[in-house]
Amino acid sequence: MFITVINALNEGFLQTLKLFAVTLVGALPLGLVISFGSMCRFGPLRWLTRTLVWIVRGTPLMLQLIVIFYVPGFILPQNPWAVTDGRFWAAAVAFILNYACYFSEIFRGGVQGVPVGQQEAGQVLGMTRSQIFFKVTLLQMIKRIVPPMSNEIITLVKDTAIARMIAWQELIYAGYAFLKGSHGLAGLYWPLLFTGLYYLLFNGLLTLLFGWMEKKMSYFRS
Amino acid sequence: MKKVLSVLLAITLLALGLTACGSAGSDLEYVQDKGTLVVGITDFAPMDYQDADGNWIGFDADMAKAFAEELGVKVQFQIIEWDNKAFELEGKTIDVVWNGMTLTDKVKAAMDCSNPYCNNQQIVIVKADVADQYQTKESVKDLKFAVEDSSAGQEQAVLLGAKNVTPVLDQATALNEVKAGTADAAIIDSLMAGAMVGEGTGYADLTYTVGLNDEMYGVGFRKGSDLVEKLNDFFKKTYADGTMMRIAEQYGVQASIIEQK
Repeated sequence: MFITVINALNEGFLQTLKLFAVTLVGALPLGLVISFGSMCRFGPLRWLTRTLVWIVRGTPLMLQLIVIFYVPGFILPQNPWAVTDGRFWAAAVAFILNYACYFSEIFRGGVQGVPVGQQEAGQVLGMTRSQIFFKVTLLQMIKRIVPPMSNEIITLVKDTAIARMIAWQELIYAGYAFLKGSHGLAGLYWPLLFTGLYYLLFNGLLTLLFGWMEKKMSYFRS
Repeated sequence: MKKVLSVLLAITLLALGLTACGSAGSDLEYVQDKGTLVVGITDFAPMDYQDADGNWIGFDADMAKAFAEELGVKVQFQIIEWDNKAFELEGKTIDVVWNGMTLTDKVKAAMDCSNPYCNNQQIVIVKADVADQYQTKESVKDLKFAVEDSSAGQEQAVLLGAKNVTPVLDQATALNEVKAGTADAAIIDSLMAGAMVGEGTGYADLTYTVGLNDEMYGVGFRKGSDLVEKLNDFFKKTYADGTMMRIAEQYGVQASIIEQK
């Protein structure tokens, strides 16, 4: 019995990790792009980006999942998500968009928090605009955003559980299945409680990683 | 991006407002064109559940396989969140809900349903050590109930006149509330209770007492789907030639099967 449950939980955890990794890979660059948009000097683009951020941050992720996954099928003759792994990709799109918007605000805060003097110093040294951005601003911004980013990323690990809203079978789903009846077992409490251990261990690893990153970057004393 | 989102939102509202209008074109042709019948299920013994190798079996699962064969398409079982079943149908992420679904007024309003094929009952579940006191409808009325949200059990709780009713995620959670002592009683399907409650199950300390109603299971399709007629004919054919009964006996539900004519 123990082996059956652990195998099923491992399978669920793998799906959780998959969604976590794909979201991170997609949302980090997209967040940077969105943060540029919201800092853009061209008014309409800035206004458009900030409205997008407002909508995405202002509505529940659960609702966004439902809209992204089901609504195309209401309008189109065939639902584009009705393919193998469609549920996963719908969830990934929702999570990437959602987290990119949160990340973008952290990036914006990080970029704007770098003192103007740093950019002026770059100009004095004859650096080009892009050199100043990548070698001065971005580098110092990364150091500043590690603590708030670690918060968001740890939240993301646990938020993946929301994907069960569209029946994506992640870790919580796998644990819950043994309460409802699965693999010939039913009414088991402990698999659901046991999933907590997976999240705890994984987030512990992430915490260590972020602590290490902070230490690595402590040579910037700005 | 913002425009796309607002258009999407507007269309959602529109779609929700216009659920009554049927879809254009034949649902049968749509399914045959794409070559698969996607069957929406939950893990629900003895209707749809997995064998040791992970294959979907059960009375409903086996009937669905036979029906797909009749249509000349492949069958694909898709686990869904039960609350979202109408969403899944209209969003075309599944083609049929075939999972021991009680034909309630709510279900019949949300989808087009087949003829009933199986009898069921909503019954009260309590802890086994107090079961003696709760053998009549009158005696259970004032208990604290947990029921699956938007289920037939919830409707029965209302009809019973129970005042303290908590809607929970699903029938298993309702059982769990009783086991955990956060509710006194649950109301669930008798076919499910037979498989999940009592000695030798995960809920050995629970038992069932009074039956509240008689009801029937049906299969749900998108509104206006021509697959309904197709399935009704299939039910008649398989009942007449004995196939349906043979499958029912395999899963121990033969006593509940309704004659198809």
